[in-house]
Amino acid sequence: MLPSPISRVNSSASQQPNPLSIRLYKVLAANFDDDATKAAVQTLAELYGPPGHGASKAKGKQVQRDSGGDHEELDEEDGDDKANGTVGTTRDGDKTAVSSVIETIPGEIAAKARRGLRRDVENKLAESSRRFLAAFSEVDKQLDTLQEHVGAMRTRCDEAQSQLRETNDSCRSLLDRAGSLREQRQEVSTRQSIVTAFLERFTLTSEEIEAIVSREVPVNKRFFKAMDKAERIRDDCRVLMAGEDGPTKAGVDIITKTSGYLEQAYEKIFRWCSFEFRQMGRDSSVDVHPSLREAVRRLRQRSELLTEALTTLGQTRQSTLLSSFTTALTRGGPSGLPRPIELHAHDPLRYIGDMLAWVHQAIAAEREFLEGLFGVRAEEDGRMVGAVRQFTQSEEEEWMSELMDVAVGGLCTPLKTRVQQTIRSQESSITSYKITNLLQFYMLTMQRTIGEKAALSRVLQDTTDFAYSVFYEAIGVQGRSLSAVTLDTDDTSLTPPLVILDHAQVLREILLVYESSLGDDIAFYNKNRTTERNQEQDARRREAAAEGCHSILDKMVDPAVEMCIVASETKQRLVPNWDREVFVVNVMTYLQSVLEPFAFTAEKQGFIQSLVEGRMMQLIEDHYTNVIADTGLGEIVEAWKSRKANEPLSHLPAASGTRLQAALHSFSLWLTGNTIDHPPRLAQLLVQSLATRVHRAALARLVHTYRWICDEVRKPENKYEAASTLLGSERPFGQVHLLWQIFGIDEESQESKEQEKLTF
Amino acid sequence: MKYIIIGEAGTGKSCLLHQFTHNAFKEHSQHTIGVEFSSRTVKLGEKRIKLQLWDTAGQERFRSVTRSYYRGAAGAILVYDITSRASFLNLSRWLADARALGSPQLVTVLVGNKSDREDDREVEWAEASRWAAENDVHFLEASSLTGDNVEAPFLLCARSILLAIESGALDPEKAGSGVSYGDRALRRVNSSSRLSFGSLSGGRRKGAVKLHLPGGSKCC
Repeated sequence: MLPSPISRVNSSASQQPNPLSIRLYKVLAANFDDDATKAAVQTLAELYGPPGHGASKAKGKQVQRDSGGDHEELDEEDGDDKANGTVGTTRDGDKTAVSSVIETIPGEIAAKARRGLRRDVENKLAESSRRFLAAFSEVDKQLDTLQEHVGAMRTRCDEAQSQLRETNDSCRSLLDRAGSLREQRQEVSTRQSIVTAFLERFTLTSEEIEAIVSREVPVNKRFFKAMDKAERIRDDCRVLMAGEDGPTKAGVDIITKTSGYLEQAYEKIFRWCSFEFRQMGRDSSVDVHPSLREAVRRLRQRSELLTEALTTLGQTRQSTLLSSFTTALTRGGPSGLPRPIELHAHDPLRYIGDMLAWVHQAIAAEREFLEGLFGVRAEEDGRMVGAVRQFTQSEEEEWMSELMDVAVGGLCTPLKTRVQQTIRSQESSITSYKITNLLQFYMLTMQRTIGEKAALSRVLQDTTDFAYSVFYEAIGVQGRSLSAVTLDTDDTSLTPPLVILDHAQVLREILLVYESSLGDDIAFYNKNRTTERNQEQDARRREAAAEGCHSILDKMVDPAVEMCIVASETKQRLVPNWDREVFVVNVMTYLQSVLEPFAFTAEKQGFIQSLVEGRMMQLIEDHYTNVIADTGLGEIVEAWKSRKANEPLSHLPAASGTRLQAALHSFSLWLTGNTIDHPPRLAQLLVQSLATRVHRAALARLVHTYRWICDEVRKPENKYEAASTLLGSERPFGQVHLLWQIFGIDEESQESKEQEKLTF
Repeated sequence: MKYIIIGEAGTGKSCLLHQFTHNAFKEHSQHTIGVEFSSRTVKLGEKRIKLQLWDTAGQERFRSVTRSYYRGAAGAILVYDITSRASFLNLSRWLADARALGSPQLVTVLVGNKSDREDDREVEWAEASRWAAENDVHFLEASSLTGDNVEAPFLLCARSILLAIESGALDPEKAGSGVSYGDRALRRVNSSSRLSFGSLSGGRRKGAVKLHLPGGSKCC
């Protein structure tokens, strides 16, 4: 039993170094006690089992081997199966014993196995090897194909790679280019944005250019915006030009271009303004459109253009104003109402006043218009036309006054002619003075409104001067005509003559007018200094007021006074008993009474007063002489005055006791008469107070004379017998205070008052 | 539009005007000398109207000067002092002057000034209103001290003038009417008689409380 496996192993080993047989030998050489061996044996048993069964099994195994190629394990299983089959019968550890047991029980199977195993195995091995070969050849074939494919693939790959490399190379340059291009593009775009910004900053858009250049686009905000930009560009360009490398070409180009546009813009403004001005000039008064104001403001940059445009305006306004003035003069308002100014030419004051008022209103409207045009807002301090304007030395103000002059200039000539005609045709000095005052009022108003240098102010100044000269001429003539007047010698009255009354009436009226005009000045004055009215100002004002009428008074009063004195002297010569003194005083006091209501005539009043005073002294003296003659005391006084030194009075023939007695008697009689209260001569004095004053002064002197007589009589050296009796025999009985009482004069006051006068 | 402000001395014409143009009371106001000028633009509906205001002296001695300013005025603001009967009694003379010297279409508004001094009132509202009705002028009371109702007479006057233009009674195109268009464009519109005062009726209703309008478009 044993040798068979060995032989089999040997044979197989000797036959060929089959790995399977080697494996088998190894198995066989090993202890078969292990499970693997048992399995192998079992497999064998199955393989060689009942034919049907075994065959089917073998076949299954074969198939398994073909596909798996791992028949070692199958063999081991076979062996195992075999071993398992025998385990139940014998539990013997000896292999040979087992084998022998297996052999002994199935017999046939074992024999068969012994016989066929090696061949079968070999067959199977060959078979399987063949199948392996076939399979592997197939695999090999496939592998070849695969290799072919792989080769082809590699070629392809190589190609692709080379192509890739090539492409890569070429791409790199492309990429480089692309990158540089990208950079360039970025640069370019940056530059572009710079250039755009530059252009935006330094060039005008076509729209803006259109706004500036085109005649279609009106002068409006859009235009001004474009202009603003152009100006800004030009200013910015200056910066460009001021670069370190000197002016750049672009700068020069831009500045040239922009300046060109600007010039065009100014031209356009100018044309537009001129057009507007021509249009506007025709309307009587208009509001100024903001665009126009802006245009004028801008045009100031081109003063020559502005001058030209404004000249147009001035001329248009001038003719407009002139024509509306003419209309107002000759045609009046719509449908003749209000009536034309010239309709009132017969009323000089109204005529001139209407004309001047019209001009005044026109000037106010004009001024408003010009202020609107130049954008000068009238001061907000509530200044009105009447108030004094603070003249600011601005360019606008210059323009405005210039334009105003031009506009109003046209009115000056017709106004002046008419006013002068009216003035010349006046016969009444009062009217001509009123006109003069009216003119002066307007002159002052205008000077305060439009300035002293304005054409109209000058014209008014001229006309006022002219009116003054006419007026002075008129009153001069009047004064001179007075001096030619002689007094009516048949007229015995001592009242002021008719010529003086007339003259004084004129004077009064003139002074009234003067006073009212003075009110203007004072009121004007007050307007400026509303708060303080201290005395100094008052005095200054009074002084000014007196100054103003000085020449009028000289021209009016002096001839009257002179006439009064001269004419009265002439009359006196012709009519000796005519009371000249009283007449002169009467006339003077009358003149004074005319002047009296007017405070500003104080100086003249003083002058007349001094004349009156002189005459009064004369009157008092005369009156006293008369009175003393009437009283009968005169002779005594005369006698005493002519006495020789130290000769006693009583020894004088004219002053002897009896004569004195008689004189005192007649004095006493005189005291009871009524001439003492109403001296007839003084009654002729128009001013009662003066008469009283003269009379009292004379009486006072009379008292003094009486006292002197009494004193002298009482003096022992005068050697009057019974002096006291002599004086006491007749009223006032030598008592001086009694005489004061009789005369009703306050002794003390009179004494002191008359003291100085007695000493003359 | 050219306005003239008239009335007796011391009735507050200048103050009224000052309040109107400056929105402030004029303290220590002096007598006006001759005439003074000021202007203000008012809005009436959608129209901007520039008023040229000629403030005259009320004193008698300036009468000869101020009389010359009636010419060419479109409106007259006749002012009296409600605390002075004398200023009210003289109104007829002022109105006669205005009618004789001004344009026939002169719109006159009577203003009783110093309405704040109710305690010193010497002229009753009803009496003045009656006088205004008899003389066919508009009437209201105002106070230049408080500014109460100061704008009303000027606006009322402006409205009446615009109405006169609308009705064709007054032609601004003619010289001396006291009215002129500020804008030439406006003139074209107006000459096609498309002059409408949409706000006029509304404004009148709204203002009626303050205006003391005696009612009716022509004052009673």
